[in-house]
Amino acid sequence: MSVNRRFVLKGMALSSMAGLTMGSWVGALSGTTARPIANAAGRPILALINEGAAESVFLDGAMAASSSRLQVQRAGRDLGFMLNFERQLRSGPPLRVIGLLDDASAALMVDMARSAGARVQWLGQHTAEAGFTRHHLLTTDIAAGCSRQFSRQLHACGAGFSLDEEHHGGPLVPRQLTGSARRGNQSAQWAASIGYLLASLGAHPALTTPWAPTAGKPVTGSFVSFSIEV
Amino acid sequence: MSEQNTTVLPKGVVQKEFDQAIEKFRALLGEENVLVKADQLVPYNKIMMPVKNAAHAPSAALTATTVEQIQGVVKICNEHRIPIWTISTGRNFGYGTAAPVARGQVILDLKKMNKIINIDPVMCTALVEPGVTYGQLYDYIQEHQLPLMLSFSAPSAIAGPVGNTMDRGVGYTPYGEHFMMQCGMEVVMANGAVYRTGMGGVEGSNTWQIFKWGYGPTLDGMFTQANYGITTKMGFWLMPKPPVYKPFEVIFENEEDIVEIVDLLRPLRMSGTIPNSVVIANILWEASSGNVRRSAYTSEPGHTPDRILKKIQEDTGMGAWNLYAALYGTQEQVDVNWKIVSDVFKKHGKGRIVTQEEAGDTQPFKYRAELMSGVPNLQEFGLYNWRGGGGSMWFAPVSEARGSECRKQAALAKRILHQYGLDYVGEFIVAPRDMHHVIDVLYDRTNDEETSRADACFNELLDEFEKQGYAVYRVNTRFQERVAQSYGPVKRDVEHAIKRALDPNNILAPGRSGIDLDTYKKA
Repeated sequence: MSVNRRFVLKGMALSSMAGLTMGSWVGALSGTTARPIANAAGRPILALINEGAAESVFLDGAMAASSSRLQVQRAGRDLGFMLNFERQLRSGPPLRVIGLLDDASAALMVDMARSAGARVQWLGQHTAEAGFTRHHLLTTDIAAGCSRQFSRQLHACGAGFSLDEEHHGGPLVPRQLTGSARRGNQSAQWAASIGYLLASLGAHPALTTPWAPTAGKPVTGSFVSFSIEV
Repeated sequence: MSEQNTTVLPKGVVQKEFDQAIEKFRALLGEENVLVKADQLVPYNKIMMPVKNAAHAPSAALTATTVEQIQGVVKICNEHRIPIWTISTGRNFGYGTAAPVARGQVILDLKKMNKIINIDPVMCTALVEPGVTYGQLYDYIQEHQLPLMLSFSAPSAIAGPVGNTMDRGVGYTPYGEHFMMQCGMEVVMANGAVYRTGMGGVEGSNTWQIFKWGYGPTLDGMFTQANYGITTKMGFWLMPKPPVYKPFEVIFENEEDIVEIVDLLRPLRMSGTIPNSVVIANILWEASSGNVRRSAYTSEPGHTPDRILKKIQEDTGMGAWNLYAALYGTQEQVDVNWKIVSDVFKKHGKGRIVTQEEAGDTQPFKYRAELMSGVPNLQEFGLYNWRGGGGSMWFAPVSEARGSECRKQAALAKRILHQYGLDYVGEFIVAPRDMHHVIDVLYDRTNDEETSRADACFNELLDEFEKQGYAVYRVNTRFQERVAQSYGPVKRDVEHAIKRALDPNNILAPGRSGIDLDTYKKA
């Protein structure tokens, strides 16, 4: 099977998830396809994903934050995608972009956000190994309380975890939360929690993230999450 | 329990003073060009160094659009003793990115000064502002169908010539030593004066981008990797686009082959037979920029064992060392040089030559061939996915272009990295006489223990290389003070004497390359 065909099939699988549409975000922004969902702050939300097993769990969480339709775009790491992303942030309509991506793509995306003059409310670095997850968050006021909520959810995942949160303008020493592994099944619910928290930033999210149906098995790897707003 | 700081301020500046300065910046630049909110500053604070983000958090970021505004900024900074950290595009990935060297410094972001002032296709020169990206230049050249070729580092389109050249970065074409191709600068000094180097001070001169040296002392180099002024324009030379371009790769199977590779290559580089900045990438650099991830082979902590490196070689056809070079010129010139070059490697017998026709669109050949011909891409960012975790530091010692020296450096670096459970991901960028030995120290920033280990590893790399007489040519902001020490006390005294003369209030990027009037000899 060709790479392109695999991508199409994968995209179709994602699209079939309740309420999701895959497509060009440029098209989405110009109103030619379904509009991204609006969060409580009134901005539409676009979710960017590109990391295999984690992406569907992340999207489950993002969807749970709203019953509306969510615009989803698979992020590329090529120059054309990045320059288009910057262009849209610079001159497109008000928008919140959330994502859970690989390190390389995210390094570029966040830098594009800077050069486009966008704001970044949340920047998370996540490592998931068998039996343990680690998370480093750089947050702003709008994400106040999210780390506590996130740690509760991490505890529910069953794996041990460590969570550092640096708040820009806050204390020099980060807030550190840890949890030990519990017996029983471990899950990738942490990725759903991130999706849920990011999609509901600024909205008062429920204390508990709804359980993601795709989160049954643990997901391993390195990921970066973010919320970018223009 | 001691009290925690809860706001970010420049060192030694109280809130009231800072607020007054911010008000003046707003009056000068407009509200929208003075960024003080946390969500505006987080994008300037994504770092890859083994330290918390707070250590490099800016207190504010300013964007300016004119030289006059920059003169106004330095005036305010002098009045309120505000330190500023200037960036052009801020794409110094792995060297500190856009974040300041010290917590609280105000970033002066020149991204909006992005005019291509002139490109002369006859004299093959350019004059640009700091915010101009290679992507802009590439588009301009394409749009106007100019017979010119750019040289840039791997971030290519999204980075810019001013920032890269001022940090003495390199590219992969025959014009790859970028500072050597720089010709004429305009610099705003700390006192607000506007200084033009070379021929730039001569009224009506049309040779500012033609003749580098001018008259009397030539000071251009003094402003690179330094904090003596803010560069607001820079000229540089562009390579005429050759009619024929022939990229190629030579793949070597064994680590020990580096000695022969370099000794074979040196005469070809010195004679100009191979004119470009050749790259010799090791297996892990090659694999990760070809989208291979460590997790596909092992989940074990520590360094990746040699047996896995061999397995990657077997699976991918990549070499322990992978040499990329190119020939440029007319068909006749390229044919003659290709015969010379290919005969050298065929006679040696160990390397497997791969041409563009054979490689097709396979990575990493494709992106290497593009970089050597001035076509931008972002393929090399795959390095960050090798191990993941967001930690990356370039360790970049200079080496003689002598095989035995390269082997010695590679072995020393690998031993130290492995001792700390990290991988040797390295390449040599080959000039006729020197090598930039560039190693990406990759680690997981979510893991405090590994982050501490990476920090200790980088220190040991610096220490052990220094014992052998080696030093790096460039380093990330966390280690700039440490590296300045490697170059000896007299150099540092001279640098600080210049700093006192030109910037007595220490407002321009204090700490850049270890130059800081507030801390030097005051510990």
